[in-house]
Amino acid sequence: MIELKNIEKYYANKGVKSYILRHVTTSIKQGEFVSIMGPSGAGKSTLLNILGMLEEPTYGQYEFMGEDVVSLNERKRIELYRNHIGFVFQAYHLIDEMTVAENIEAPLLYKKVPGSERKSRVADILDRFNMVAKSDLFPNQLSGGQQQLVGIARALVAQPSIILADEPTGNLQSTQALQIMDLFKKLNEEEGITIVQVTHSEVNAAYGSRILHLLDGVIKEDVVVQQTV
Amino acid sequence: MFKLNLKIALRNLWKNKVYTLINVGGLAIGLASCMVLLIYIAYEWSYDKQFKNYDKTYVVYNNSKANTQVFSWAWTPGLMANEVKEKIPGVAYASHSTYPNDQLISNGEKKFKKSAVYSEPSFLKILDYKFIKGNPDKVLREVNSVVLTETMAKNLFGDEDPINRSVKFNNKYILKVEAVIEDIPANNSIRFDFLMPWALYADQNPWVKNAGWGGNFCLTLVQLQDNSFFEKANGLMKGIYSRNSKDAMGEALLHPLAKWHLYSDFDNGKSVGGKIDQIKIFFILAFCILLIACVNFMNLSTARSEKRGKEVGVRKAIGSSRKSLIGQFMTESMLLAIMGMVISFVLIEVSLPYFNGLLNIQLAINYHDWKFWVALLSLTLTTGFIAGSYPAFYLSSFEPVKVLKGASNIGSSSLSVRKILVVFQFSFATCLIICTAVIYQQLNYIKNKPIGYNNGGLIEMPAQGNFVNSEKLDLLKDQLVKSGAATSITYFSTPLGDEGNNTFSVGWPGKNVNDKVLFNYRSAGYDFTKTLGAQMVSGREFLRKADSLNVIVNEAAIKVMGLKQPIGAKIDFEGAKVTIIGVMKNVVTESPYQTSKPMIIYNRAEEFSNIIIRLNPSQNLSASVDRIDEIVKALNPDFPIDRRFVADTYEYKFQNEKLLGTLSNWFGGFAIFISCLGLLGLALFIAEQRKKEISIRKVLGASTANILTLLNKDFVKLVSIANLIAFPLAYIVINKWLSAYEFRVSISALPFAIAAVLSLIIAILTVSVQSVKVAKSNPIDALKYE
Repeated sequence: MIELKNIEKYYANKGVKSYILRHVTTSIKQGEFVSIMGPSGAGKSTLLNILGMLEEPTYGQYEFMGEDVVSLNERKRIELYRNHIGFVFQAYHLIDEMTVAENIEAPLLYKKVPGSERKSRVADILDRFNMVAKSDLFPNQLSGGQQQLVGIARALVAQPSIILADEPTGNLQSTQALQIMDLFKKLNEEEGITIVQVTHSEVNAAYGSRILHLLDGVIKEDVVVQQTV
Repeated sequence: MFKLNLKIALRNLWKNKVYTLINVGGLAIGLASCMVLLIYIAYEWSYDKQFKNYDKTYVVYNNSKANTQVFSWAWTPGLMANEVKEKIPGVAYASHSTYPNDQLISNGEKKFKKSAVYSEPSFLKILDYKFIKGNPDKVLREVNSVVLTETMAKNLFGDEDPINRSVKFNNKYILKVEAVIEDIPANNSIRFDFLMPWALYADQNPWVKNAGWGGNFCLTLVQLQDNSFFEKANGLMKGIYSRNSKDAMGEALLHPLAKWHLYSDFDNGKSVGGKIDQIKIFFILAFCILLIACVNFMNLSTARSEKRGKEVGVRKAIGSSRKSLIGQFMTESMLLAIMGMVISFVLIEVSLPYFNGLLNIQLAINYHDWKFWVALLSLTLTTGFIAGSYPAFYLSSFEPVKVLKGASNIGSSSLSVRKILVVFQFSFATCLIICTAVIYQQLNYIKNKPIGYNNGGLIEMPAQGNFVNSEKLDLLKDQLVKSGAATSITYFSTPLGDEGNNTFSVGWPGKNVNDKVLFNYRSAGYDFTKTLGAQMVSGREFLRKADSLNVIVNEAAIKVMGLKQPIGAKIDFEGAKVTIIGVMKNVVTESPYQTSKPMIIYNRAEEFSNIIIRLNPSQNLSASVDRIDEIVKALNPDFPIDRRFVADTYEYKFQNEKLLGTLSNWFGGFAIFISCLGLLGLALFIAEQRKKEISIRKVLGASTANILTLLNKDFVKLVSIANLIAFPLAYIVINKWLSAYEFRVSISALPFAIAAVLSLIIAILTVSVQSVKVAKSNPIDALKYE
């Protein structure tokens, strides 16, 4: 599903190049649950952003479902992105001015899904996440865990083939974190959604099927997780 | 999508009430100012354009060459109209008429002194007034007939049918009402309340019948069949005087009726503008104020980019295209503009009566006029678009990764743009302050300039009805002086501040044959200089029954004639040799902005049309006035009292300058106010941005005063730059404005200093509102989030 070849990312500052990513080459298959780990500044988030097409690599080749992302024009890229990628953030990043239901509905609007279908899909997902009662609340009226649930619901509603999560439990208490991770696992196993998450936590990483260890922009290790949970 | 955008926009605006208020308020003031000015401009522009064929209609002007300049005026001989109609090809109609003049009209006890015009049937062909009753083709043919306006008819006859009823005119003539026309709109150069046939005018003034090409006493209007005839017709007009009379001076020309009001100034016989210059200033002002309001909006919206940045990032991360983001921000600014429009409606309606009082006109929002709505809507939408464009494109350009990572320096790139915008706003505002100050200086200068006589405590009234009789005038004089209300009384042939007769045909010893000098001439009664409080330079005033061939001249006349021994000198005037018995100092009767014209004053009782009364300074003013009214009413019971203070009529000469001063004062104030809102926006933004820096400084021991200086320094710099830009600009503008006046103040440093100090103080006060808050805040609050 994802093919990265020799991805490089650096910032040139007064002639000095500071590398974020070097020679990253890997592939992620449909249905995998990959965790990206590493110390601060290793380039985990940058790698995730590149996967999510929010950033462009300085060099290298990136194929997403057979399409060369780097050479696509902006419109095509947004199109590809809208249809296949769901993002989940550490700080949830819900839009404060929108209610829960509207936040979830937003990606469908951009995908130009017709109104009736939007309504039913939003209702569906609210139901699935047990949040029907909260649909008219604003984000600041919810707890962190609930906000992240909305964030995931928003990522899922567009029926993406892959979810990219940047430390999704970083701001949460441990019980809420567990809940979110269980949800991810369920989505991965039952619906076959590919998940790529960035995490610091060994526990969270253990939910996945594979771990990429990043250090100073280089993939040091690529291990398959023994399912213990 | 649009519905959601709208909903989000509304929530956003509601959440940030202060911003919304500042923004909507700024836009509303901007829109309202712009609309009021545009309504005024439209009003001035619409002058004389209500007639069907106004574009083919021309006013005949007469250019007379004098030694130093060419005089142009729309006064022509009575024979002009017929001559034009018969001899010039392509002329559909030509008419002569008088200018409006107040006359007495009455029905029984209902007496009114209202504006009257004498004319002929073709006048109504050229100016197609709307007839409510009566046949337009049959009026103005009989001598004793009159056409009334609707209001006039109502005043005279109430709800009764006025047709074929009779009215009394000047207590002398019985006139039959032939027709009623709609009231003449205020935006008409010729406004009257009743219209009478030319024959009646000739009947009252027998000299009219024999008037040749020498005297210019009527208004001639010409309507062409088609404007393609204009070039030829205008060419033929040029020589019309010389073709008809050897002695007549001048050349005629056709001036479009549509331009009569706005392009009334002539220089060297050519139209060189007039009120249009002022209209242009207002037009520029209108859009500059709106632009300032837009700039304001841009400033405030981009200043909030920090807060909006996250939203942009999220939206982009969940798949929004840039286009839909631009759409969203545009929706927001359109919404604000429309809210501003609604408020501006209220502002316009509230302020119009005030402006009407100020401008002495009747402006109103014409809700039935589609042009008004088109103008308002397009103005609103353009405002929304311009105001929203920069924030929309700027905010939507954020890269999601950067804003979501919480990079705190978004918006810094746009800071310089915003600084430029603020400099622009303040340059304009400072310019306005300077110009306003100079306009007021000029106004004061002219008002305080000696006019050669004391116009305080001076009353004038027309010599009408019984006062045409000189015995009654004497009686009036006796009674007034005896009553103690007045100290002295004199008579004059025109109201003191009016223009009047003038002539080129004055001869004096040593006159060069080629000398062509225009002399004003008036008839004045005894005690003329004494009553006015003017001064004689030499010689004496008129004495009773001895001075029919003696004249008094003013200093300007002596200067042109170059007489060393003026007293006793004989000059040729109106076909007779007259002797100069006195020289008086110049008194300002016409424009206070120009040097007085040479004037000859003679003493002919039959030409007195104006009574001038010097009030007794030792008496209570209102008691004196009441006393005068009583005496006048007793001696002349058939006419309503029509007295004016000379000082008031003199004030009226400054109407244009006062108007300009007041408008620039108001709109300058608005511009400054809106600019301050913009500055406040910038201050809010900078305070937000430098929160961390300030907190660190405070932790390191900076005092509140240190921080305030630090924050305000930048703004002082911006406003200073704005001042530097504004100074030369204002100098150029105001110098051009002043150059139109012969008497003008020299531009001093004072207005510039006022503007600089004022703008700085206002700016510092505005900014301090925000910076004090920041400087006093607890540093930990800001640092905690890092």
